[in-house]
Amino acid sequence: MKTIDVQPQPILSLKRIFAIALSGVKYRLFRAVVTVAVITVAMAFLMNILTESLIKKAVANSARDQIANLHRVDQWIARLSVPQTGEQIIAGLAQADPADPYVAELAGMSGKTPDDLASLQATARSAQEYLQFFQDMNYGRRRVLVGRAESARIFDHLQDPGAYDKFTANLSHMKTLRFPTEADAFQAFLAEWPTLRDWMGTVRDGQAKAIEQIKKSLGNQPLVEALRNADGDFGETLRQAGFALGTEEAASLSREVKRLDNMLLIESTINNPELRQAVAAKQDILPGDVSVALIWDLIDRSHGAAWYVDEMNKAGLDTEKLDPAFIRDLAGDYAHAQLLKYAERQTLDTGGGLMGIGARMTWLALVSMLVCAVGIANAMLMSVTERFREIATLKCLGALDGFIMTVFLIEAGILGIVGGIAGTLIGLVLAILRMALGFQSLLVQSFPALDLVKAGLISILLGMILAAIAAVYPSFRAARLAPMEAMRIE
Amino acid sequence: MTTPATTESRPAERRVIIRTVGMKKIYQRGMETTHALRGVDVEIYTGEFIVVMGPSGSGKSTFFNMIGALDSPSEGRTFIDEVDVAQLTAEELAFLRCRKIGYIFQSYNLIQYMTALENVTTPMAFGGVSPDEARSRGMELLELVGLKERWFHRPIEMSGGQQQRVAIARALANQPAILLCDEPTANLDHKTGDEILDILQRLNQERGVTIICATHDHRMMNICDRLMWIRDGAIERIANRNEVEVELASID
Repeated sequence: MKTIDVQPQPILSLKRIFAIALSGVKYRLFRAVVTVAVITVAMAFLMNILTESLIKKAVANSARDQIANLHRVDQWIARLSVPQTGEQIIAGLAQADPADPYVAELAGMSGKTPDDLASLQATARSAQEYLQFFQDMNYGRRRVLVGRAESARIFDHLQDPGAYDKFTANLSHMKTLRFPTEADAFQAFLAEWPTLRDWMGTVRDGQAKAIEQIKKSLGNQPLVEALRNADGDFGETLRQAGFALGTEEAASLSREVKRLDNMLLIESTINNPELRQAVAAKQDILPGDVSVALIWDLIDRSHGAAWYVDEMNKAGLDTEKLDPAFIRDLAGDYAHAQLLKYAERQTLDTGGGLMGIGARMTWLALVSMLVCAVGIANAMLMSVTERFREIATLKCLGALDGFIMTVFLIEAGILGIVGGIAGTLIGLVLAILRMALGFQSLLVQSFPALDLVKAGLISILLGMILAAIAAVYPSFRAARLAPMEAMRIE
Repeated sequence: MTTPATTESRPAERRVIIRTVGMKKIYQRGMETTHALRGVDVEIYTGEFIVVMGPSGSGKSTFFNMIGALDSPSEGRTFIDEVDVAQLTAEELAFLRCRKIGYIFQSYNLIQYMTALENVTTPMAFGGVSPDEARSRGMELLELVGLKERWFHRPIEMSGGQQQRVAIARALANQPAILLCDEPTANLDHKTGDEILDILQRLNQERGVTIICATHDHRMMNICDRLMWIRDGAIERIANRNEVEVELASID
């Protein structure tokens, strides 16, 4: 039989294929625009999520100390009022570094040295892990496993051999549950538990004694007032009583208390009916609707502080210590504290997941990518079906399957990169605007420019790759089309 | 007419370029079986101008797909230039379609976003012709079909006749031995149809291109060498033109 003398078909230059793909896009501009719109929307969504999350992450990182400061006074008041609960001690000890002053404090309260606490700390870490396991479980299951016992009492409950057997038997039925450790380790922990519990008892006793001592030294003076001197005499008293209070901590504690004091001074004026009326008249609202936030807002305006001091004088309040500039600063502090509280609420979910944007956001990003892929695949399939005749004609003219696939993949890539860039820019701008409205000055301090550039590049690249991947099947179909389709008369 | 002379002057150089042996095509669609071709044996010679006629649904299109190496028969064989089409790989098929056969379609099938010249040079690019050479050859071909001045026009800017002429130039891009035309004049008015027929005739006589043409156009009879009728998937009759002319004359 005669064979055909085939010369291998030259591979067309990329430039040529690119030109063919581009003129195809130009010719079917409307379809291309719709496809680009789909990619744009999907990538804008993705970039929006990424940008917001990255900004939140940056804000959370930069405002972490300031946010901790917000709660510092509350935490100290709580510590100096009642002994800590078992769970608090476990959590504190489990998280603390052995060199942490808190460890020394616990050791001191229980009459031990910090070195003695090493084994207890290991037990506390296991306890924390198991507590987390029980806490994440739903109520019904916990009821079956450990009865009515809750938190640290679960370990007490399981000291009873009968209860433990019931627990292990029931646990083995719950196939979907993953216990954090092997049964042996848990048993060993349960054996250690009474030591930890008894030690925590002595800690609590020690804390109660220390609190008593401090109360005595305070006499009638309120605790909050005393804390103003945290960087002075009262700090010394606290240290003597056994509380770990670093110099820096003491200084910021005292500063914070003073600030709160001053703010409270202004905020208490809301109870003065005359002032209330004056504010209401100025704002054109009912006196009952006057709020602390409103007063601060008023003070923060130009001439607002002076006006308010004036009104306070008229109402017969003592304004000797208050000059307008000072209370205006306080108003700034108040706004900043509100901002920090807002930032704290907004950034709860950060950390973990893709690029540290949080697990939930990672999911959303994945879903948006899926939407994008489906949209592009659909658009490319339509593009292929529209071009049956053209593809078949090209095959009649001697085009190889690879050539046709390449043309379609490049076409998808072009659409992907255009849509990717447009979507990324839109998503970026919208997210920055939205975040700027919320975080205001916090955003300026911590603007994650480099991260955002990285995210932008990733999302543009992703748009292109997604478009190319989504076009693989349609272009494969196009390439495999029989050339005789072209001969068919429609 | 001197037709007998022309047909008889050729036998010496006659060579079979397309040969089909017991070619059958069965389409299976669900429970329904369609016998598109029921065993076709035909030999087509180089330099021949053959017209294929038949009502729609006769298997004419299927026959065209087979001899154009666009489809493979269910049974039997197709030889193009003594090469069994069924044995060819995808690359070899592409090579065959690119170099050996030129296709002309009823609806022109030009690539809409390319200019006339680009349309003509595309198959040359697949054939490995350098861009410069492709350009000059493309212009020659456009001149041949009388469209040299309109090389930069896109199909949408041209009339049907002009588009079909570009399609002919494109079909000739790699100097094929065979030109396969599927109702080339069906969408054209009488005058432009005449022009197309004129070009086809010139190609056949001056360049010796084998032309196989499916048509309902009776003007084709005047320029072809042989006529072939297909009905119900089988060849009903093959006749030389002079025989048919005699018949037509007798009817008159």
